[in-house]
Amino acid sequence: MRIKVFIVLLLAAFVTGLFFVAVPAQAAEPIKIGALLPLADATGKDGSRSMELAVKQINAKGGILGRQVQLIVIDDELKAEKAAAALDKLCTVDNVDFIVGGMASGITMALIPGMKKYGKVVVWAGAAYSGVEKAMEGQDWFFHLHAWDYQQGAYYEKGWAEVKQKYASFKRDKMFMAYEEGAFGSGSFKGQKVLAENGKYEVQGEAFKSAAMGGGDYRSVLRHAKEFNPDQFIWVGYDKDALPMMEQAKEIGFSPLTFVGSPPAWPVDFAKQPLNEGVLLYSYWADTMKNVSRASKTYSDAFHKEFKDTPTTYFGPLCYTNIMILADAIKKAGTIDKAAVIKALETTNYPSPLGDTFVFKKSNVIDHQANSWPKFMQWQKGKLEVIWPWEYATAKMIYPFPAWDKRGKASATIEGEKKAVPAKDAKKDKVKK
Amino acid sequence: MKYWKYLICAVLLIVAVSLPKFIGVYPLQMANIILIYMALALSWDMLLRTGQLSFGIAGFFGLGGYATMLTSTYFGFNPLLSLMAAAITAGLVAALVGYSVLRLRALYFAIVTLALGEIFRVIAQNLEITGGTEGMLLKQTMFKGDAASTYWVMLAIGVLTIIISIIFQKTRIHYASTSIRNDEIVAASSGVNIFKYLVIIFAVTSAIQGLVGGAYVQLYGFVEPTATTFSINFVLMPITMALLGGLYTTWGPVIGAVLLSVIAESLKLRIPYGHLLVYGIIMVVGILWFPGGIMGFIKKMFKISNQ
Amino acid sequence: MLIPCGQYKPARNSSIRFRDLITMINSILSKFKQKNFLIGFIIIIAAIILVAIYKPNVLFEGLQRSALYALIALPMALLLGIVDIVNLAHGEFMMVGAYFAYFMNVQFGMDPIVAVIPALFLFFLFGILVYYITFKHIIGKEPLSQLLLGFGVGLVLAEGITVIATNFPRKLGLDYVSSSATIGGFTFGTFEFVYVAATIIILVGLQLFLKKTDTGQAALAVGQNPRGAKIVGINVQWIYLLIFALSIALIGAIGPLFGTRYTIFPGVGDQYTLKSFILVAVGGMGSLNGVVLAALILGMAETLVLSSLQYGKWADIIYFALIIGFILYRSHQRQVK
Repeated sequence: MRIKVFIVLLLAAFVTGLFFVAVPAQAAEPIKIGALLPLADATGKDGSRSMELAVKQINAKGGILGRQVQLIVIDDELKAEKAAAALDKLCTVDNVDFIVGGMASGITMALIPGMKKYGKVVVWAGAAYSGVEKAMEGQDWFFHLHAWDYQQGAYYEKGWAEVKQKYASFKRDKMFMAYEEGAFGSGSFKGQKVLAENGKYEVQGEAFKSAAMGGGDYRSVLRHAKEFNPDQFIWVGYDKDALPMMEQAKEIGFSPLTFVGSPPAWPVDFAKQPLNEGVLLYSYWADTMKNVSRASKTYSDAFHKEFKDTPTTYFGPLCYTNIMILADAIKKAGTIDKAAVIKALETTNYPSPLGDTFVFKKSNVIDHQANSWPKFMQWQKGKLEVIWPWEYATAKMIYPFPAWDKRGKASATIEGEKKAVPAKDAKKDKVKK
Repeated sequence: MKYWKYLICAVLLIVAVSLPKFIGVYPLQMANIILIYMALALSWDMLLRTGQLSFGIAGFFGLGGYATMLTSTYFGFNPLLSLMAAAITAGLVAALVGYSVLRLRALYFAIVTLALGEIFRVIAQNLEITGGTEGMLLKQTMFKGDAASTYWVMLAIGVLTIIISIIFQKTRIHYASTSIRNDEIVAASSGVNIFKYLVIIFAVTSAIQGLVGGAYVQLYGFVEPTATTFSINFVLMPITMALLGGLYTTWGPVIGAVLLSVIAESLKLRIPYGHLLVYGIIMVVGILWFPGGIMGFIKKMFKISNQ
Repeated sequence: MLIPCGQYKPARNSSIRFRDLITMINSILSKFKQKNFLIGFIIIIAAIILVAIYKPNVLFEGLQRSALYALIALPMALLLGIVDIVNLAHGEFMMVGAYFAYFMNVQFGMDPIVAVIPALFLFFLFGILVYYITFKHIIGKEPLSQLLLGFGVGLVLAEGITVIATNFPRKLGLDYVSSSATIGGFTFGTFEFVYVAATIIILVGLQLFLKKTDTGQAALAVGQNPRGAKIVGINVQWIYLLIFALSIALIGAIGPLFGTRYTIFPGVGDQYTLKSFILVAVGGMGSLNGVVLAALILGMAETLVLSSLQYGKWADIIYFALIIGFILYRSHQRQVK
């Protein structure tokens, strides 16, 4: 019993100690940037690593304005109340000068009151839900990098129109959208319906329960899609849905002319799956873009060198851009004064690893919206290739989508690719040397 | 000898009320989170004292949250009035539902309350006026997010919950609920109107959960049905806190909520990757060492020292 | 506090033969004499025939979906029925099993379905270990502590896997999982019948074990009345250990089967714990047949609603309303009796 009491007291002392002993106070020297990211998520992990990389590069060059940059990343745990507390900690305990980061729209919603209260300059990477934009109306300190949901939708329409012009046989008169039942999916479908009305094509959709929420059986939705017989099938879900979705489409024999997915990331080793051949997707970035964009190559190589790994989501380059844009603006402003930095940010012109050159413009509601755009990509022989916009294209589109039962040839090339893997590894070794 | 308890309570209360004078915004925000979970844990425990194991915390929490959001968006209720609306909505729904559901016992009751919460969620998710799956944003949070004022509101909710819990412990309700818990048939035959008390307790605890849900919406300014407002976290975390703190007491859930929230937050700041693993281990070790919770352990210690 | 479960009724003879299967069927048939059961049975059969004509895919896919639900819920029902534990780490054990199969495949090229066998043994040992470290100290004390303990163990398992394998989702690309058959222009998936087969094997196996072996009989006695069983001379602690380990072994071995068809990630178990818990409650807190029946009805109903394009989004409400309806109906029945 005594030992128990002793240990309990010790634990209690430890816990109270943890709470009261704050992070060691540092001299007011460095410029402090506070970041909020979901560290347990693939996007947050890529994002935080890329931010660290950016800060390391900046500091190696002597920092900004002769001062070092200090990055403080706090996990938002994808929980609204934890994210709000983390923002308060950054602003009041760590006294950061700028706020960056951000991934999920739902979490950003919980941060809006806090951001407005502190009024610090925020350069926000994530959140696509246009409700966030409405709430940020008239806030001159809010700079947003990711495209809003309605912008993405309109941009996709433009893309498909251009694809249609180039490929005479391309058809998109009927479209079926399978979307996860959360905000991400149903928001996309809502937007799509409006676009279809304007674009004068037929659209039908149905929600499914994502495997992330305990679902994983998509067959009823896929059957409805098959009955509708669309030219284009799009599913809006998460990485967890990717492969089962395709397996089940194969199972019921559903192969439309184009098969599009738009998860934020793909499962481990998805590149090695024979089923991936010809699957199209929307994403901001792929590692193969290093072949067409110099900024992308510089980033990709630096990331490789630092972590011996490849970022799996576009939040890697996006968060890297996030830090770099801010750093450039501070340099330009010559001070960390809010008004000056906002002015400098407004003149941003940054060639990002995402391919786009970032400038801030007015969007429907807010004053500072970056012009970053998703790209059309396609899995070809186990690699993500960019199809559109043409200036970043790394390969030609495979069209139509090869039917599941007529894939003898395709799988043969996949096997060839497998053999080619050691060669790829050899390349990696060269880079290391 | 008897008065020292009240003295301690008074001192604690004064310290709690004057806290914004001494600490910054971030600790106050943490205090808000602790108070949210504390009120949920304590209200859950109050119902458990009758033997009814509820998994519907998130359901009533979310219901209150939506009530606050809808009344302040469509009817322009001021924040405090919208909190009242949250409590009344949750309490009324609980009283109505309670008439049929409270006849169930143990895990049957637990499952049905869980299912009720899910039904609330699906309704909120599929209706237009509740903002569908995307949820809604509040135009202005209470007191424009002023840390001290919001903290005082949360503290008031927390203290209210504690007072209700103490009232439940000190009055006839306590004897009623204990006898219901121990043996329903004996309780009924000894003249306790089981059902009346059960419905009252269920309605009151649900109203508290609704009130907290409303406060959550007023603090963070939004509702979102799938991942946040009806999150299973609001079921599991309060239960965990109450269990670790000690069941069937007022102070057990309070201690549990403070301890687990502080541990979770400090672990997160020190171990960015993998803090939940340590948290899980602490939970397992904690419950193995104190099967009766921390309050149970303290009581045992006092008994030993008295002997 | 948790309801002690008395759903099992020990049979009289205790020799294991083929004949026993017949007696089992007979005992099911004898239920037909009960009017309610017969009416219910006719309604179910009629409903199935109607559905089969209206939408044949609902019949097949509903059956497969129900079988998966039942499969995952069965070990939980066993544990709750005899040891009186609601294992909130249930789904996490399945998740670990799936990861085991995944890495066996990646490292040694072992097929996940073959991995079921080593998983069965490994998880039996793992179950013993977990039992000695954790649950042994809780049983018989504060009954609700097991909820917290299960939650904690689940968190440790999920986060442990995250530390070892990151939380990136993983899925093996297996060609046979998308195999299908076509009858008269109607194409349906055949692989998921594995779940149906596994459910039948586990259900029949467990029933035989519980009714025809001495250990099983002892376990049933413990499930009905632990104190009484102790007085009669049954080693209750040993039975608890055995059943706990058996339950973990089964759910661990279901993991590889689950992983063939579904994407796995550390949090994948959560939802299945909840689902199993619901099925076990609807099925009657520990009754194995009840769980399978509940899974069949709920799974079929869910698939049927989902098969409608307009009303699919209300599938969840119907699912949960059915659960509440069932439980209220059962409790009403209890009161009438």
